[in-house]
Amino acid sequence: MPFMQNLSNAVVLAGTYILMAAGLTMVYGVLKVLHIAHAAVYTIGAFIGLLVFTWAGNFWLALAVAMLVSGIVGVLIYRCTYHYMLDAPRTVPLIASIGLFVMLTDLLQKGFLMGPYQKALPAGGAGLPRIQTSWFSLTPKQVLILVVTVALLAVVYLILTRTRIGLGWQAAAMDRDMAAAVGVNLNRVIAFNFFLGSALAGAAGVLVGVYNNSVFATMGDLPSYKAFIIIVLGGMGSLPGTIIASLLLALVENFLVASVGYVLPRDAIAFLVLILMLMFRPHGLLGQE
Amino acid sequence: MFSGYIISVAIFVGIWVTLALSLNILTGYAGQVSLGHAAFFGIGAYTSAILSLKYGLPFWVDFLGAIIVTGLIGMVLGLPSLRVRHDFLVLATMGINFVVVAVFKYVDFFGGAMGLINIPAPSILGYSFRGGFPYLALVWAFATFTWLVSWYVSKTWVGLAFHTVRIDEEAAAAVGVSVPRFKIYAFAISSALAGGAGCLYGHFIGSLFPDTFVFVESIVVLSMVIFGGVGTLRGPVLGAIILKAAPELLRFVQDYRFTIYGALLVLMMLFQPMGLIGDDSLLWRSLTHLFRREGVGEVDS
Amino acid sequence: MRKSLFHPLAVITIVLLGLVPLAGCGPTPTAAPIPTEAPAPTSPPTEAAPAVEEPIKIGFFSPTTGFAAADGTSALNAAQLAVKFINDAGGVNGQPLELVYYDDAAKPDQAASIARKLIEQDQVVAGISGSYSGATRAAAPVFQEAGIPMISAYAIHPEITATGDKIFRVGTLAAVQGRVGGELVGVVLGAKKVAILTIDNDFGVSLTEGFKSRAGELGVEIVMEEKYPLGETEFRPIIGKIKEVAPDVVYATAYYNEAANLVSQAKDEGLDVQIVGQEGYDSPKFIELAGEASEGVVITTDLNRDSERPMTKLFLEQYKAEYGEDADMVGASAFDAVQVLAYALKTAGSTDPGAITTAISGLEDFEDCASGPFWYYTEEREVVRPVSSQIVRDGAFHLYHEFTDEELVTAK
Repeated sequence: MPFMQNLSNAVVLAGTYILMAAGLTMVYGVLKVLHIAHAAVYTIGAFIGLLVFTWAGNFWLALAVAMLVSGIVGVLIYRCTYHYMLDAPRTVPLIASIGLFVMLTDLLQKGFLMGPYQKALPAGGAGLPRIQTSWFSLTPKQVLILVVTVALLAVVYLILTRTRIGLGWQAAAMDRDMAAAVGVNLNRVIAFNFFLGSALAGAAGVLVGVYNNSVFATMGDLPSYKAFIIIVLGGMGSLPGTIIASLLLALVENFLVASVGYVLPRDAIAFLVLILMLMFRPHGLLGQE
Repeated sequence: MFSGYIISVAIFVGIWVTLALSLNILTGYAGQVSLGHAAFFGIGAYTSAILSLKYGLPFWVDFLGAIIVTGLIGMVLGLPSLRVRHDFLVLATMGINFVVVAVFKYVDFFGGAMGLINIPAPSILGYSFRGGFPYLALVWAFATFTWLVSWYVSKTWVGLAFHTVRIDEEAAAAVGVSVPRFKIYAFAISSALAGGAGCLYGHFIGSLFPDTFVFVESIVVLSMVIFGGVGTLRGPVLGAIILKAAPELLRFVQDYRFTIYGALLVLMMLFQPMGLIGDDSLLWRSLTHLFRREGVGEVDS
Repeated sequence: MRKSLFHPLAVITIVLLGLVPLAGCGPTPTAAPIPTEAPAPTSPPTEAAPAVEEPIKIGFFSPTTGFAAADGTSALNAAQLAVKFINDAGGVNGQPLELVYYDDAAKPDQAASIARKLIEQDQVVAGISGSYSGATRAAAPVFQEAGIPMISAYAIHPEITATGDKIFRVGTLAAVQGRVGGELVGVVLGAKKVAILTIDNDFGVSLTEGFKSRAGELGVEIVMEEKYPLGETEFRPIIGKIKEVAPDVVYATAYYNEAANLVSQAKDEGLDVQIVGQEGYDSPKFIELAGEASEGVVITTDLNRDSERPMTKLFLEQYKAEYGEDADMVGASAFDAVQVLAYALKTAGSTDPGAITTAISGLEDFEDCASGPFWYYTEEREVVRPVSSQIVRDGAFHLYHEFTDEELVTAK
């Protein structure tokens, strides 16, 4: 029955959004900066994943390395730029972020890096099985996405609520200055934050690279725009909000296309939703201020 | 002797100077950071193209029509700025850009994917010109006009109101400045001027396709404003000139255009967020220091 | 703290970065930084009688940066390959050919400036557009006004050649290819019901128009028609819809990346219907990205991998040898554009634009092209040629059917 199939496809699609958006909302939570350059670590993650997979043939290794590298690149980005802009007016890191985004995406497209063509990442379902029920079916790749997404989200949740640094993050997200005043090591928290958020984006990149069997320099653009929309919908800085918003957006996209087709491209639709949201409920579904 | 090539580069530079100046009114003066300026550029271009193609109206009507229509649409599209600020506004303007381009592509009235072609060259008193010195003069006349508007805005009460809104919206409201009204004014003026630039662009190239006005182009215009010095009269002009002419003159810049744009933005934000010749920049202070007149009371902005 | 330390140094850096372009003097156009280059002597614009070794300059522009970088790079590579062939064989009229190229990032205003630059500063005798329709359409009037011939390699917008009598096209008009698709689906495949997916740019729209016209004549029923955005990666909901209408064939216009996603997802979702594509699919990348799902897909295209024609085989081999990748349709078109131009120059015996255009118009049964052969040029400067179709078997494109009916392949 197409409805159930559309539903399950939408959930998987949401899975491809969630990790990217979660990373972004984490960064925003503390930094209060729209880290547009998030797209770059997503793409770098996919690229590294591709390299490692081609070399070692193992998906899980590729995923781990990709996450690690993305995380490190994320921290580097922070240390070289935003770190110096913490007290500047908000437009300054915003513009810097745009600059980073533009610069990195262009560089990645050069021949000595990723080149202009798309490359295949044929990791398949990494050995996971196909799930077939009478209502819907999930291909191994789709199962992979769900498994990895859920697992990573669980890990993130645990880190945020059970570890010191996670609690420090939550404090800093609520009030940066206050958190510093009560002894939270802001530098460490922010750096860790960037690491984790970027690692999640890198994971998202690898997953999407496997899902669509293609890796290319501009693959991060659209997902990062979607991620912004999602974090606004879900309420900036709210992880549960991000999850719900991702699901909602994926559902709307899927069912809209399945019923009336592409009256507008999906990204335009998503942005329309965003604009309406901003007009009528700027703090998102679950955000508060 | 100026070749057609140099003139055409100068024409494009003039158009982008206009765009940068118009964005500066919105972002620099009124403090509304917009990543959707290319949408207004496009709306102006398409409006004038449709007026001349489908209704056969003469150039001046198309030009004024583009300005007025884009200004009106700008007022409507500026509504989100009444609800949100800063990052959220940036996202909203980005979204507007995407939606506008999607409409150009998917609605057949605007030519859709096939674009609009055979836009007639402007003609005045029977003399038709699509390039060369006459067109150059036209473009730069409009750029100068835009500059004058910017100057006027910055010096009058409208500018003052913008300034207060930019610095502190709550304070502005507290002293009786109608914040929503002035935000909408800013959008109206800024988009109207961008629409005029769009008309000039469309009639010069002769054809329009939706992808010319994508989001990345908004980033380019914003870069010009920021690089030169946001909130000043001279900054956007210099920024536009350098960033538009450089790829033409230097091949390396052409091939690595966006890497350089991006790097420039980051570097500027790190070291000279006020722009290359912004009010507080090293370069500007050095220059003004050199030419400072003795004794005359000068207000350091 | 940091600011005062870095201020002067940083400002100097930024100023240098920003002002270096202004310091750059007039550009010396060089060939691209890719191994094969036509011999490029340093030469100011020539005056009266050219010396023997004076190269003939051809202008070329394609998007090597930006969203269309893949096609632009293929086009450039192939064009340079053609120039190398020609020069290795002695050049044209005793002179070497030089390809002067610029990147237009598929932007119309860039293309328009580049056109002027090529004509005035580089003084090319003719130009080739290796770019998309928008950019080509912006450059064409510039060439036309200057009286310099221009050939469009693969941009399909019908209005390009309508710009004037100096503008030609080498690629098959999308409308023609669409009609051939209709013939393929209705006659060769014998389908009665078709679902159409149209990519939302001019390429897709023109193809679909042509397809519908022929399919209509043949009485094929169109059970579904959907437009979708360029760059789309998620086709599952649409595939669900297609399953519901149960067509015999799906005619989907796409480029290789959308196509790869479409066919893979169709396979995943269990859509067991013949998919027919066009030259947008024509790239080794399609097969690489789609993997097994590409087996059995049929496309209309101009490049016949199984062709016995010597120039086709030569092109395919040499492109692979030179660039390490299999050639694609875009490359073949760019290659052919150079070949046609070289032929025209030889036939005309001079670089006079009028002679060149006459020579191109008079072209007949041209075999020196990778795709082709070219039969003749219409008055509207469109080339009439057979259209091939290919099927993916065992991971490669192979000949499926040749369409040689002159009436079918002539632009109406």
